[in-house]
Amino acid sequence: MTSKVFIALRVPADPTRAFEAFTREISSWWRPDDLFQITPQGDGELAFEPGAGGRLVTHLNNGETFEIGRVSVWEPGKRLVFGWRQASFSPEHSTEVEVRFEPVGNGTRVSIEHRGWDAIPERHVARHGFPEHVTLQRVADWWRSSLSALRFDMKHRESL
Amino acid sequence: MSASNLDRTLAALADPYRRRVIDLLRERPHRAGELGQAIRLSFPAMSRHLRTLRTSGLVEEDRDEFDSRVRIYRLRPEPITALKSWLAETDALWARQLAALKAHLQKTRR
Repeated sequence: MTSKVFIALRVPADPTRAFEAFTREISSWWRPDDLFQITPQGDGELAFEPGAGGRLVTHLNNGETFEIGRVSVWEPGKRLVFGWRQASFSPEHSTEVEVRFEPVGNGTRVSIEHRGWDAIPERHVARHGFPEHVTLQRVADWWRSSLSALRFDMKHRESL
Repeated sequence: MSASNLDRTLAALADPYRRRVIDLLRERPHRAGELGQAIRLSFPAMSRHLRTLRTSGLVEEDRDEFDSRVRIYRLRPEPITALKSWLAETDALWARQLAALKAHLQKTRR
């Protein structure tokens, strides 16, 4: 049991190509969904600004641009980490998405880990007056050990 | 679920003492005094943590049926359920998007 959402899928491309498709071509494959909208105006057209420090934004129909998050790790063919904030989140709250690309046979295993509460920013923690020694890792550990007892039954998909 | 509630739930759980309280309440409802003893916290410190847990909705307070001066604390399932549904939605989102990425890669196969 873990405190995160974890999804993995094998895709028919090498890791370099899979990374390129995930980032540069995200607007071609991203599927908007009524239930889970990034902004009240819908998902818009997503785009990554390449490189660490770049943004993941979405261009909305009304001409506005919404920043979903910033890229913190950009390792083509290997790993991608970016912030994830929906419009409904409070300004201080952000979650984090890590995407890994691993060669499997002549394809790639793409795995996505979406960390919700393990990524509470320092600023946010400070605002709520938490002791400084409380590291985020401890929060994560607690969730890992504790949620199973709460019968927190998250289904994990593995296609491999 | 509203994101600000999710936010509050996560924030309330970001403290080790409060997580310990949740652990204890998972076994059964406890009196404030029992919680303070078990966790070795002063009364004011424990009161502060219990207030935060109440505000977040994770915990509710009741009066003891025999002694109204005594307060009993118990877990409320709603925030956990809300967290669970956020997880389920996020899980579904990425399952769908990865399937879409796979379809895209099949289409553009070189």
